[in-house]
Amino acid sequence: MSQNNPDQEDQTSGAKKTISLPISRVRLIMKSSPDVSSINQDALFLTTKATELFVQHLALSSFNNGSGKETNSLSYSDLAKTAEETETFHFLTDILPKKILARDYLKSLEQMQEEEADF
Amino acid sequence: MVYFVQRNSSRLFLFFCATMASSSGNDDDLTIPRAAINKMIKETLPNVRVANDARELVVNCCTEFIHLISSEANEICNKSDKKTISPEHVINALESLGFGSYITEVKDVLQECKTVALKRRKASSRLENLGIPEEELLRQQQELFAKARQQQAELAQQEWLQMQQAAQQAQMAAASASGAQQAGSSQDEDEEDDM
Repeated sequence: MSQNNPDQEDQTSGAKKTISLPISRVRLIMKSSPDVSSINQDALFLTTKATELFVQHLALSSFNNGSGKETNSLSYSDLAKTAEETETFHFLTDILPKKILARDYLKSLEQMQEEEADF
Repeated sequence: MVYFVQRNSSRLFLFFCATMASSSGNDDDLTIPRAAINKMIKETLPNVRVANDARELVVNCCTEFIHLISSEANEICNKSDKKTISPEHVINALESLGFGSYITEVKDVLQECKTVALKRRKASSRLENLGIPEEELLRQQQELFAKARQQQAELAQQEWLQMQQAAQQAQMAAASASGAQQAGSSQDEDEEDDM
């Protein structure tokens, strides 16, 4: 992660609160958002830290509400479930398609085609 | 296992398009490096087995989250007639999107980053101001170099003297040895002259 901001080297001093995600990468992702022009450096730090907190939040939530607690595991469906059940994570449902078996999909596709044929 | 979108066919079409787009490597392919995410997951959920597809998903959720915050902050920024997204805009975005609980910690980190940056600036200027101005430091450096050169020269000279002495001793030893021989070898020399 050589692209890291030099600030991150100071993880030894006052360790817990500094940032571990690569700030430059976060900036690139932000800039790829439509219409976003310039971002203040401090705003960038804030966003990076918020993203870290988000990962922790998502992981913990999914684990605590998921079915893997007894077996100490976290699965895709745990995450999908949390995204649907927690309002603040609703924005994730677009990229979290629930997995279904191919044959079920084909069945529903057939049904849709039949419906369209009715027109 | 086959993954599909459990919605109507037009959404499926979009999903496939998205997949194709990302494989051609455009901007939206950007994600946080997997290693960084893995590390964070490990720290948050130590000893938990996390499925590979779940990890992949978290990586993509990160990107999605960043877009979400950026768009919201950008809108807030536009409304405020400013051109650059400021920390204030990001904080308001977090609040309005339901991530208000992050705000305190996020602000703390910002403060920390600023303090660290300030310390580093002070440290570098402290070095410059050890009380010794740069010219003086340069002068001292030159002095040290000159001294070192001198020492080297002296050393070289000593070695040379030692060599000379050794050579002289060798010569003398050889001379006294051949002096003893010379008495008995003049005949040889005459013979050599004839040839």
